[in-house]
Parts: sequence; structure tokens; C-alpha cells
Amino acid sequence: MFAIVLTGFVIAGMCAGIRLLQGPTLADRVVALDVALVTLMGAVAARAAESGDSSYLSLLIVIAIVGFTATVAASKFVESDSRSDLENH
Amino acid sequence: MSPIATVFLLAGSLVAVLAGIGLLKFSTPYARFHAAGKASPVAFILVAVGAGIELGWASSALLFVAVAAMVLTLPVGVHLLFRAVHRATPGDHLVVDELRVAERLIERND
Repeated sequence: MFAIVLTGFVIAGMCAGIRLLQGPTLADRVVALDVALVTLMGAVAARAAESGDSSYLSLLIVIAIVGFTATVAASKFVESDSRSDLENH
Repeated sequence: MSPIATVFLLAGSLVAVLAGIGLLKFSTPYARFHAAGKASPVAFILVAVGAGIELGWASSALLFVAVAAMVLTLPVGVHLLFRAVHRATPGDHLVVDELRVAERLIERND
């Protein structure tokens, strides 16, 4: 059962990876990284549930907050500097 | 693993797949952000509920803090990206654009 759950997360992560590689805009890449991080969080939580080992759960909080900081910084960057990037696709 | 926790984990995994497919298949940046910003928190909440049922109260507290951190921050981040794309795209590119109307109103009043 855990294999099915993990397969779902791997598929979601692959979709995010494809979107990360092909863009077409900088903001798409940032959102793809966000989805990849949330997928990673889900996989960590599922792994903790499967193994009964709760020592990795603090990692989830750290990932959530670091991901938010990264998104905010990147959105400021998109706002100021993405005019050329948006027109290139 | 208890059957209820398994159901929650499977549902979360399914919603994560849907978020990924939406991110991949939608054609405009706004639609892609919509799929990514709404579905992925739901996926994580479902998985966290499943893990909380499986692991007990002490772990549920940690999972609750993680869910709260993500539910409070991820929509804000995606919203900032929406606005950044909106500001970086020149011209009237949307059918209904209340943000641009509001910005013009502010400019006129200044």
C-alpha cells in the first residue's frame, strides 16, 4: 500500500519536474518548485506513517517555512526582472 | 497500518497526482498556479491526517504545526506570484481584471 502512495507522490514530483524544466515563464518554475516541495513533504509524512518513526516530522515544518521564504523572494524577483523572461517564450 | 489512515494516505497521494497533472496540462500561468496552489495543500492535509491517525497524539501535534505553517504560507506565496505575473505582463490580457481597475483608480486619485 505504501508503494502505491509513494508512486503517486513520485508522479506528482515528475509532473512538477517537467514543468520546472520547460517553463515557459520564471513564475511557472517557481510554482513547480513549490509543488515539488509540498510533494516531498507529503512523501516524508507518508514514510513516517508507514515506518512509525516520527523523528522526521520536524523536517516538515522547516520545509514549509523555507519554501514560503523562497517563494516570496522569487516573486519579488519575478516582479522586478521578468519582463524579458515573460516575452521570450 | 490502520485502514482509515491508509485511505487518507491514498487520497492525499491521489490529490497530489491531480495537482501535478493540473500543473502540467493547463495552458495559462494563472490556471497552472490555481491547480498548484489549491490542490497541493489539500494533498498534504490529507496525508498529515492519515499520518496523525497512524502515529498518535504527540506526532499529530507536530503534523498540525506543519499543516498550519503550510496553509498559512503557501496561498500567500502563490498569491504574490499571481500578482508578480500580473504586473510583469503588459497590456490588458485578461477578460475580467479587477486588480488593474483598482490600480488605475488609485493612480487617478493620486
